[in-house]
Amino acid sequence: MPAIPADVFFATIPELNARLASREISAEELARAFAARLEQLGPRFNALALPLPQHALRKALEVDKDIKHGRLRGPLQAIPYGVKDLISFAGQPTTWGARPFAGQVFDYSATVVQKLDAVGAVLTGKLAMVELAGGGGYRYASASLTGPGLNPWDRTRWAGGSSSGSAAAVAAGLVPFSLGSETSGSIVTPASYCGVTALRPTYGLVSRHGAMALAWTLDKLGPFAHTAEDCGLVLEAIAGKDSKDPGSAGKSFYYTPQYARPNKELRVGFARVDFAERAEAPARAAFAAALTVLKDTGVQLVETSLPQFPYGPVLSAVLAAEEASIFESFITSGKVEELADAAQIAGLKAALELPAKDYLKAQRIRRLIQEAFSRLFADVDALIAPGRPGPATKLDQRLDAGGPTAPAGTPPGFQGIIPAGNLAGLPALVLPCGFAENLPVALQLVGAPFSENTLLAIGREFQARTDWHKRRPPGV
Amino acid sequence: MKITRRKLAAAALVPAAALAQNQPALPRNPDEELNAARDRAKGLSDALARQSVPMATEPAFQFKP
Repeated sequence: MPAIPADVFFATIPELNARLASREISAEELARAFAARLEQLGPRFNALALPLPQHALRKALEVDKDIKHGRLRGPLQAIPYGVKDLISFAGQPTTWGARPFAGQVFDYSATVVQKLDAVGAVLTGKLAMVELAGGGGYRYASASLTGPGLNPWDRTRWAGGSSSGSAAAVAAGLVPFSLGSETSGSIVTPASYCGVTALRPTYGLVSRHGAMALAWTLDKLGPFAHTAEDCGLVLEAIAGKDSKDPGSAGKSFYYTPQYARPNKELRVGFARVDFAERAEAPARAAFAAALTVLKDTGVQLVETSLPQFPYGPVLSAVLAAEEASIFESFITSGKVEELADAAQIAGLKAALELPAKDYLKAQRIRRLIQEAFSRLFADVDALIAPGRPGPATKLDQRLDAGGPTAPAGTPPGFQGIIPAGNLAGLPALVLPCGFAENLPVALQLVGAPFSENTLLAIGREFQARTDWHKRRPPGV
Repeated sequence: MKITRRKLAAAALVPAAALAQNQPALPRNPDEELNAARDRAKGLSDALARQSVPMATEPAFQFKP
């Protein structure tokens, strides 16, 4: 069998489609190459939870047969992928990244895995994550069954969490796309730190059936990939109504960039301070240049501000109450002590004591937040902010200590946009936008509920003018 | 400008001191850890209490009969 050219490992989905269509490469060759690469390089970044080479090969042979007989199933047919290890795959361990669940096996696959299987995508492995998606609040990057997620750009830096492996695997070219989850920041943060494109869908657009529940009213599953277009193609395959997910919005998604409104008609809100004083100094030049590129795409940038609410406390209260209920027996049985991170153990125990009034108050404030964002999106079509204020943190850095703070009196800008966006169920697209200290930094584009096509269209235009999403980490 | 050793030492200490102010002290044992988590929860409670909400505002649940 001929060796796979190295550029295949960083090819976009349409580029892989072209190679498959021209018979330059088969599903079997792709599966063998990606599965071997994931198995070989995944541990280098602590990104791999479980390799699935035999399953991948079986599925790829089936796909090749389908292709040979003209049974074409769309752009994801034959494309290898990985899933965060909180998404179940029947008969194989699903550890939720946590030692106490290391032997856990479900006899059914998550809806997203079933949907991807139906369109011929090839699952090559499960990807590492922060234990229990970090809901208890963790202090160190090492809060994982597989060790700290290492950043492919610099292994002394964190890959971000909690979908560490999902982001690192795409960044290192170990899978063309992956699935991760976000309750508050678990897609946006690792995508920003690893320099990959990712999409947090609107709450309810993608079924969570078969995925670990952390907070029912906040959890979302979404794709990591090389481009905005790839994210759109994956989202189309995984979105849709699912009666097995009580939070399902009952809506489908069709990736239709051809029907997107012209950029010149779009108003994108931003706060200048986010790209200056509130950004870490080494990242400011990249953020400023990215804003200029965004303006060049034709969108109207308008200064705006976020509605003022205590987003962090509201999100923390909702998360604490829901996770305490979900993991009650795990916490009270004492199994919680087997987790790796002391802060996470204490956080889960304390969550059991959260008064009902606080949860209800948080959910009532959340209603006001949703209404305020609804009014905001009557004026702007999207919001833009840095994905994170700076590049990936060092591995030994405390994650509960807060980052560098802006001088007193600095306007708040879009501070809290991650909890705000998650509380309001808003979609977010992460776009790599440059480098700081040789590490990637990114933008997050946040839109009204179910406005994914608008975000993806803007993202596609941005990526047509930049090559940050094409950069590869050294040594891979 | 002449910089004395004392000034240099003081200048070198500033970032560390600022950092120490930024970082909450590290709890040393599980009990302290739990108390710190409870304190954080109390902080949440206080922050929520400060936000006024109209009586008619219902929680943001979705109940589908």
